[in-house]
Amino acid sequence: MFTDKIEAKDFDKMDPEYKELLGHVLAIQADCEIGGPHLYVETMLPAAPTKLDQLIIARTAAEEIDHFRKVARVAGDIGVDVSFVLSQPNEKRFVDTFRGLITTWEDNAVFGFLIDRVGRYQLEEFYDCSYLPLQRILPDIVTEELGHIEYGYNKTLELIQSGDEGKARTQKAVDYWYVRALDMFGRSASIKSERYRYWGLKRRSNDQARQDYINEVGPILTQMGLTVPDPNKGRRYM
Amino acid sequence: MPQAVANIEQLDEHLMEVVRALHSAVRQGVSHKDNSKVVDTAIKDCKEMLDEVMKGNVKEWLN
Repeated sequence: MFTDKIEAKDFDKMDPEYKELLGHVLAIQADCEIGGPHLYVETMLPAAPTKLDQLIIARTAAEEIDHFRKVARVAGDIGVDVSFVLSQPNEKRFVDTFRGLITTWEDNAVFGFLIDRVGRYQLEEFYDCSYLPLQRILPDIVTEELGHIEYGYNKTLELIQSGDEGKARTQKAVDYWYVRALDMFGRSASIKSERYRYWGLKRRSNDQARQDYINEVGPILTQMGLTVPDPNKGRRYM
Repeated sequence: MPQAVANIEQLDEHLMEVVRALHSAVRQGVSHKDNSKVVDTAIKDCKEMLDEVMKGNVKEWLN
């Protein structure tokens, strides 16, 4: 296991595998940060139920753009250009979850509640990671992601409490996003995931992170009066 | 030191400016939430700025 801590000045001396993995994970992270606003700005900013919600969507998008900026800077400083993801069509996003559009308010709420939570998990993988410039940008990004998750949770709860119809629509959205959230952790038998851990770029196996997520989200869904979807149904990456 | 991507500093500065302007518009709207004219203008400004970012025309931004 690699236990050193690396600064940008050390990058050129690193093993080619380390360089490749770090560049790859930064490109994916940048794509996920900008992929969120691409899902909801066009459709949800004009359609949010209140003007305050419209402003909060704009603020959320601004924060995600800023997260992209920070990740792009870390990547750019080691010669990895991730600016192409800014104009990438949604169908070409690295992660399936970001391919498409959010067109309903319940999907927007549940996206924040469930998918931004996966975003938090992804970022937590880099805590104490071997690449210090990446580690340094984490605290502010994670704090803002926690705000997005809380907003998503509160809006999801409002929909559930709005009546049977709202609750049914919310359950449908949870059924849709939950399996996508679980797939975002990648394949349990991923060899690449092991190499990330070897180089100190990630902390947990894909399976362990996914299981931690299931253990966290299940009780919250139950407490909200929703049914926890079957974690194996409709999955693409087991 | 590794060779940094050309224009990374300019892109960083441009996006930082956009993010600042977005936060400023949001703050303006939230702090005048009872004045629908101000709120509508703030939302419109945010939408215009976000639409530009969503287009992702980096070359145009940095020219």
